Amino acid sequence: MRVNKKRQGGENVGENVKISKSLRDCCSAGKMRVNEKIRRKIMGKRGKRIGKMIGGLVVIVLLGLFIGRVGRAPVPPPVEVLPPAPPTVEALRPVERMRVATTTSLYDTGLWGHLEPMFEKEFNVELDIIYAGTGIALAWGRRGDVDVIATHAKAYEKKFVAEGYGVQRVVFAYNYFLIVGPPDDPAGIKGLSPEAAFKRLMETGLGRFVSRGDASGTHGKEKAIWRGAGYDYEAVRRAGKWYIEAGRGMGPTLLMASEKQAYTLVDMGTFLAFGGEVDLVPLVDEGAILLNVYSAIAINPERHPKTNIEMANNLIEFLTSPEIQELIGNYGVEEFGMPLFIPCAGAEPKE
Amino acid sequence: MIEVWHAFIKAIELIVSLDPEVMEIAGRSLGISATSVILASLICLPLGGLIHFYRFPGKRVLINVIQTLFSIPSVCIGLLVFVLFSRAGPIGGLNLLFTPTTMVIGHMMLITPILLGLTISALSGVDKAIKDTALSLGASDFQAVIIISKEARFAIVAAIIMGFGRAVSELGIALMVGGNIRGFTRVLTSAIALESQKGELEMAIALGIILLSLSFIVNVVLNRIQQR
Amino acid sequence: MVIVEVRNLSKRFGEKESLKNINIKVESGEVLALIGPTGAGKTTLLRLIDLLDMPTSGRIYFDDTDVTQLGKVGLETRRRMAFVSQKPVVFNTTVYNNIAYGLKWRGVGKSSIRQKVDNILEMVNLSDHKNRNAGTLSGGEAQRVAIARAIAVEPEVLLLDEPTANLDPISTSRIEELITNIIHRYGTTIVMTTHDMAQGQRLADRIVVLINGEVHQVGERSEVFAFPRDREVAEFVGMKNIFLVEFKGSKAWLQNLEVELGREMKDAQGYLAIRPEDIVISRERLSSSMRNNFRGVISKIIREGFYYEVQVKVGWVIFKVLITGNALSELDLREGASIYLAFKSTAIHTFQ
Repeated sequence: MRVNKKRQGGENVGENVKISKSLRDCCSAGKMRVNEKIRRKIMGKRGKRIGKMIGGLVVIVLLGLFIGRVGRAPVPPPVEVLPPAPPTVEALRPVERMRVATTTSLYDTGLWGHLEPMFEKEFNVELDIIYAGTGIALAWGRRGDVDVIATHAKAYEKKFVAEGYGVQRVVFAYNYFLIVGPPDDPAGIKGLSPEAAFKRLMETGLGRFVSRGDASGTHGKEKAIWRGAGYDYEAVRRAGKWYIEAGRGMGPTLLMASEKQAYTLVDMGTFLAFGGEVDLVPLVDEGAILLNVYSAIAINPERHPKTNIEMANNLIEFLTSPEIQELIGNYGVEEFGMPLFIPCAGAEPKE
Repeated sequence: MIEVWHAFIKAIELIVSLDPEVMEIAGRSLGISATSVILASLICLPLGGLIHFYRFPGKRVLINVIQTLFSIPSVCIGLLVFVLFSRAGPIGGLNLLFTPTTMVIGHMMLITPILLGLTISALSGVDKAIKDTALSLGASDFQAVIIISKEARFAIVAAIIMGFGRAVSELGIALMVGGNIRGFTRVLTSAIALESQKGELEMAIALGIILLSLSFIVNVVLNRIQQR
Repeated sequence: MVIVEVRNLSKRFGEKESLKNINIKVESGEVLALIGPTGAGKTTLLRLIDLLDMPTSGRIYFDDTDVTQLGKVGLETRRRMAFVSQKPVVFNTTVYNNIAYGLKWRGVGKSSIRQKVDNILEMVNLSDHKNRNAGTLSGGEAQRVAIARAIAVEPEVLLLDEPTANLDPISTSRIEELITNIIHRYGTTIVMTTHDMAQGQRLADRIVVLINGEVHQVGERSEVFAFPRDREVAEFVGMKNIFLVEFKGSKAWLQNLEVELGREMKDAQGYLAIRPEDIVISRERLSSSMRNNFRGVISKIIREGFYYEVQVKVGWVIFKVLITGNALSELDLREGASIYLAFKSTAIHTFQ
């Protein structure tokens, strides 16, 4: 009876360990033995069901604390902390972590999901990818909460570097924004220039427009087009009910536009990735202003010494390396029949 | 509406096939929420007892404040924890932002008022005669406190379930403080948010169903303990 | 030997003075009943004796030691007593655990607890419900658990607060039987409260009448009933005919009625009381030894169980007379009928 209980408890520990990949990665048999010992101590006193529960809960608590310890370290922990390495691939995995704040359009297209394991394998690092609009990504960068940012808002990025938060702005890919809308195109903007199309939307009032409205790179681009069309953005916001501010990521905004049969501005990658799910067609796809450049910026270690500048540079080198550039150029061809991004390592594409 | 049906089937598929990524996320949700609830309970149950059993000036006001904090939005806690733990913040040096530890801290802050408030009301719900009966039968003050807590156990377990429910279902802290990092801080709610942002509505609903199943299991287990 | 004594005990709740200067001695081994109407302060006094509340002033002695304090002394003293409250309170656990708690708190060993609890369960006839949750018991059963729980700790003094107040007649007689059993078996000192004079007489050796927070009378059980010391006690023990009168020599003037007392009183105002069962009703004027004879008219007849209360108006005064149903039909009494009243001067209680 007693033996049986212990064994169950043991399985419990095993299960809990599975909870976190990172934990499994760095949790050795030695560490588990410690947990087991503590648990046995508790179990020894009270063999009842409640004891078993408390044992399980304590394990979870220890686990929670342990997760915390792991998460704390972009700096490699001293070697002696690492348990004697059993001859498994698992145990050789690193605890070094690096954080990337990335724009949602890069995340939602699945590009990061594609690149992450390759980078992790090559550099022996745990890459934490946090997706957010360009606005919040830049804010995290300014506060030093991430090590590198990948965004698509040239003006903001230049300011970011100029203010000393970023080391250097390195472009690595581009594509184009599209103005998409309902297939029947009520305002008749098909084939117009982006500025002319916006002007028409404003003047005719036929059809609605869904804006990101969230200080993202796409939103910044939209504002630039309104400016190019000769409007003050604040006036546009007050122009009428046809102008809808979603305040959400690209995906939800696109879905909303489809639901409302409205026009919206979308990056090509996201539009292709969502192509099957929305009832919208591209109406304006030419115009220098529609250029959408993605760049990566390492956070300046002079501002935030605790950031992982070395690994950030590794990532930027990785993104601009010929093999990965080729990979980016081919990403999506298989699925959508055309590439989602055009690689442009280090060279700003001309507008 | 057909999506909901598809989502339901998908949820069952994911559960039956023990989809490793989904299981991992669900496990993390359980681990983080359970850790927060246990740690918060270790603080709140005795503290709630102290507040209930001791008379001190400002007690009513304190209880009102605690009850008001029931409705604090998780995003506000998320923001608060973010500015505390951000590198530019006062304890940024710990470098704990975007880790499960900080999520646990955020969850603890979120559910502390609930656990405290409900513990106090659970104890106040016990007939005053219980205390006198215990004392008259020769219980020391401490023994009387224990038996009053035992009388309140159903309501206290309900408080813990409530706290777990709030922790496991909140999104603001998971996003603001956790960062929704795949394989590290992604929990069910932030995964749901991501999937719905990606337009994967079925997957999002399926994860929602898994979250509810998880809560159901926790509920059943805690109630079994309580019935002892 | 006096086991519990209270001296000059007063208790004030805000403006209300619940107990005023109480002095009581409880002899070891006796059953003392505190009787009095609801709100007289009986429960308050019992709680003070059990050290559940602190008096506003006055001292409590247990075994000749002043124990008027909480804390350690309070706990130790309290552990020599047990208290059963009016409303049966049970812990939300099994009947067995309920009874075992008091022993557990005293650090009694497990096997000893098991034996004692089993014995007591047998005694209170609840062995079948041993593992039932006490919360599911009926009021009478719950009260038996409460009493069993109290006697399990073998107290030197058992405090019972209205042990049958909320119970039906059958449960009441069971509880009374149980209390009698305890008295015989353990010889425990019992201080109980009741508002039921008859119950006090059935169970107690001595009776303390408590009215409005004051002790009005202390005496042997029959003494209080037979010879109430003042108007309030008289009223409480069921003398329904209580009148304000003017004493003059051996007579009392009750409005315009002249009542023969058979003894000399000081000339002053005072009260006169007669039990309703001590008054005789007849159709004809009785020529007996009864000195007081009046003619009156029946104003009302009220049924009270086996008995009838006949209200007779003599002049402006209404007398209440208790007679059996037989007497009622034999005499063919009806409202409005004219009849004669008579009572002995020895049946008259006087208070000045």
